[in-house]
Amino acid sequence: MTSKITENTRWRSLINVFLKEVGIGVVLLVLVVAFSLAAPRFFSVLNVSNIFTQISINTVIAVGMTFVILLGGIDLSVGSVLALCSIIAGKALTNPSLPFGTAIVLAVTLSIASGMLIGFFNGFISETWKIHSFIVTLGMLNIARGLALQISHSRTIFNFPQIFKDFGTTTYFEVFPAIFLIALALVVIGTIILRKTVFGRMIFAIGNNEESVRLSGHNVKFYKVMAYTICGGTVGIATIMYMLRMGIASPILGVGFELNAIAAVVIGGTSMSGGKGSLIGTFLGASIMGVLNNGLLLIGMGDFARQIVTGAIIILAVILDTYRNKLSAKFNA
Amino acid sequence: MKKMLTLAVCALMLTPIALMAKDANKKNNDDPLVVGLIMKSLANEFFMAMEEGAQAYAEKDGTFTLKTMGMNSETDFDSQVNAVDSLIIQGVDLIVLAPADSAGMVAPVKRAIDAGVTVINFDVTLDKEALRAAGLPEEFLFVGPDNTDGAEMVGNYLGEALGEGGKVFILEGNPGADNAKQRKNGFMKAIKTHGLELLASNTAHWETEEANTLMSNLLTKHPDVQGVMCANDSMALGVVRALEAAGREDVLVVGFDNIPAVKELILNDKMLATVHMDGTEMAVLAFNAGFEIIEGKRENLGWVQSPLKLANKAFFK
Repeated sequence: MTSKITENTRWRSLINVFLKEVGIGVVLLVLVVAFSLAAPRFFSVLNVSNIFTQISINTVIAVGMTFVILLGGIDLSVGSVLALCSIIAGKALTNPSLPFGTAIVLAVTLSIASGMLIGFFNGFISETWKIHSFIVTLGMLNIARGLALQISHSRTIFNFPQIFKDFGTTTYFEVFPAIFLIALALVVIGTIILRKTVFGRMIFAIGNNEESVRLSGHNVKFYKVMAYTICGGTVGIATIMYMLRMGIASPILGVGFELNAIAAVVIGGTSMSGGKGSLIGTFLGASIMGVLNNGLLLIGMGDFARQIVTGAIIILAVILDTYRNKLSAKFNA
Repeated sequence: MKKMLTLAVCALMLTPIALMAKDANKKNNDDPLVVGLIMKSLANEFFMAMEEGAQAYAEKDGTFTLKTMGMNSETDFDSQVNAVDSLIIQGVDLIVLAPADSAGMVAPVKRAIDAGVTVINFDVTLDKEALRAAGLPEEFLFVGPDNTDGAEMVGNYLGEALGEGGKVFILEGNPGADNAKQRKNGFMKAIKTHGLELLASNTAHWETEEANTLMSNLLTKHPDVQGVMCANDSMALGVVRALEAAGREDVLVVGFDNIPAVKELILNDKMLATVHMDGTEMAVLAFNAGFEIIEGKRENLGWVQSPLKLANKAFFK
């Protein structure tokens, strides 16, 4: 009797895990198989490596965004903050009075620190005055873009050190671009933080029921501000990855990046009202978007049709997600 | 504590406003003519360079006062309408306008003309049908480059380098933008002239990262490509980076605009050529055409072409 129940629970939890985490993975798998059949070069080493490069920046921004969305918040400023960080880091990187090594270390530090500082402001302002993050980060979107344009006088910064640009095009084992490994590392670190630490559990708890967490005597404000700071920090890292990949810094880059990041998070099954989601899902969500963009072009679909199909798939993935949740709830019942 | 914080945050937010206000108050009152220069997005370095160049020109020339206005983004057409209306109220003599919307800007232009302000259309042409509908001449004076010609020129340069049968991509600008269409047409003419084979033509919306992604995907699909025609240099930057990442040194890239970042690429053979377009020169041509109209020496009709130059290695040496 006891063993039967245990076995039953084990099955249920397995199915549950499958539905929760792998569900969106199946969509990705179907897309990959379909494109591999339809476009001969899709599954080549070169193309897979390209897709890895193309999803890296969005993945990293989406990791930070997941923390914020898990709290039921949103960060619309990420694209503009990316531009601002790129100008700050770009100025440091091209400063002629600094040796290469120092310039690179300074650029990376400044980019991450600026991102975290802006993230901190977003969280702090939103929490102190109880303004929805949608409004605060919408304001920050304009502030950061304006600052980036003001500081740079609208000019693109280029002439990065060769060693920096070379690292941006480095690929390990022919298929893993350096920036993709950075993205993967952040997904893993983020997952550990969310799953294995008190901090992570608090994020989920606050997303589920903020009031009860507050009433049980925890400093809700601290955790929320931290989540925005982490989101800003990931934007700082994404900025360096962008500069590695493109070899430029520009005040007009990153327009619409917030929407891609939010799409990746949502396709990945994280609930916009908070409390439910995972970074593995976010990573799969970003992968689906990258695979779609790449695969649809390879099968020869036109620009406008590609845009339409991508939009449709975002909606479909989320509809599928609601069924998945219902099923998973049934198994849990 | 919270009040102090509120104050501190408010003060912080207001600092930039105070800084901007200082800039805006610079003005010479002795000059007879007042010219309003309305550009598109100042986030675009082309217009930023134009603004700085035009200001420097006005200061050196000393015969007119210049008010410059830029938009927040390329598509921010509302604030352009407001800019025209506010310049009319301020009683300027001449408005020089780069329309953000070819058809939509005709109505405010008409209002300005009715109020006795001379208007010069530059950079992007006003829509002919909308002009006619507003009771303005279809041949309303335009000062600007021939984008089709420029694209054909740099396309021909690529065609000569590749020879007949060369395989090329086109990276287009924003679908719907007039200059994007004209540049594509110019590239198509060059492709026809030199018997090139067009493997793919897609848009990357003028954008570096999108062009980079598009180019690496197109490279997978058509590894046999030999040349790429980009409708602007920002996209060319992304294309060059994609070629570097793929280790391809055999693909020739041409662009359009001559932004500062491409000089080094052309000198180092990463890019073949671009089209040099001088924003300040274009603005000055527009000012002078406007002055001539005010003095009665010219009719407000026709096309004053601003020159485009092929910018290859020799151009930068």
